Amino acid sequence: MRNCEDIRESLGVWLDGELSLADAEVIRLHLENCAACDEQRRQWVKLDVSLKSLTESNVRQVDFEPFWRGVQERIAKQRAWHTELLEWFHSAFAGPGLAWAVPAVILIIIGVLSFDSFWKLRGQRNNFSAVESIDAHGRNVALLREDETKTTVIWLYQNQEGEDESSGENVETSPAF
Amino acid sequence: MELSDSELVLKCQAGEIDAFQELVLRYQQKIFIVIVGLLRNREDAMEVAQEAFFRAYRKIKSFQGGSSFYTWLYRIAVNLAIDSQRKQKRTPLDFRDTMDGLFEEQNEVAKDPFSDVQDRELREKLVSAINDLTPEHKAVIILRTIEGLSYRDIGEILGCSEGTVMSRLHYARKKLQQKLSGFL
Repeated sequence: MRNCEDIRESLGVWLDGELSLADAEVIRLHLENCAACDEQRRQWVKLDVSLKSLTESNVRQVDFEPFWRGVQERIAKQRAWHTELLEWFHSAFAGPGLAWAVPAVILIIIGVLSFDSFWKLRGQRNNFSAVESIDAHGRNVALLREDETKTTVIWLYQNQEGEDESSGENVETSPAF
Repeated sequence: MELSDSELVLKCQAGEIDAFQELVLRYQQKIFIVIVGLLRNREDAMEVAQEAFFRAYRKIKSFQGGSSFYTWLYRIAVNLAIDSQRKQKRTPLDFRDTMDGLFEEQNEVAKDPFSDVQDRELREKLVSAINDLTPEHKAVIILRTIEGLSYRDIGEILGCSEGTVMSRLHYARKKLQQKLSGFL
């Protein structure tokens, strides 16, 4: 035995004739014995009839004589290529099922641009080498860092006696390790 | 002898525009009534209905016959109407405005099925309640109540399952019933 709530859930489907014969019979029998559910049925029938009358009365006085002419004019009219393209784009991407496509495309474009920028920056970093020179109690330490191979080279050298730093001559140094 | 839809479609695909005219004559009123139910404005509905037929004509060569011609045509029309409704920036005229204007023009107030005072109130409430439904809910109730289409056909037209049609219909009816309480 189905309760009133179940019956009311199926009432629309029953009214629309979409229930199986057995289920439809259960509803019919319930309605015969339940005034509350039968009232719901009556209201829904009136709702459907009112909606039908409302819409049909709006169409009754419409003159369909020029309708075909309107369609013919559209067929005959040459549409500009950009209108066709816009229409195609709209029908392809603006449907409710593809509403996600627009933000997705925007995200992909942003992603591609960001990726491109990332690689450019990375490329710049690859070419970058840092050289630092530290003077520690008469010994000079030079650090060379190369990002691409992640290699750090440490040069340890000593100023030669009597070296004139302003002479502009190259000072020969030998790596300690 | 009257040709079937699929025979007319074949003729259209062979380039016979008269066959397409026959299809337009066959379905113009049905398509219009569904669109007017969705848009609630006769002028807009006329435009959208003509555009729907035009698009059907353009695409008819790609129509494979996997579904019936009328569900295919309804799909084009309903999608256009829903789309047009979403795009509509101006406030659409409602049924009452459209109908009152129409009746005044044609002095046909006596033929108005809602001429009784209580029924007129019901009509006003109904218009307002329909306006509050989403395009998808409006579409299912129009296709079912006005056109009497099966859940399967409605699902095919709207691109959803029969279960979705069923639940949308139930929701739409409950909403309308709530808003019209005391008038039904």
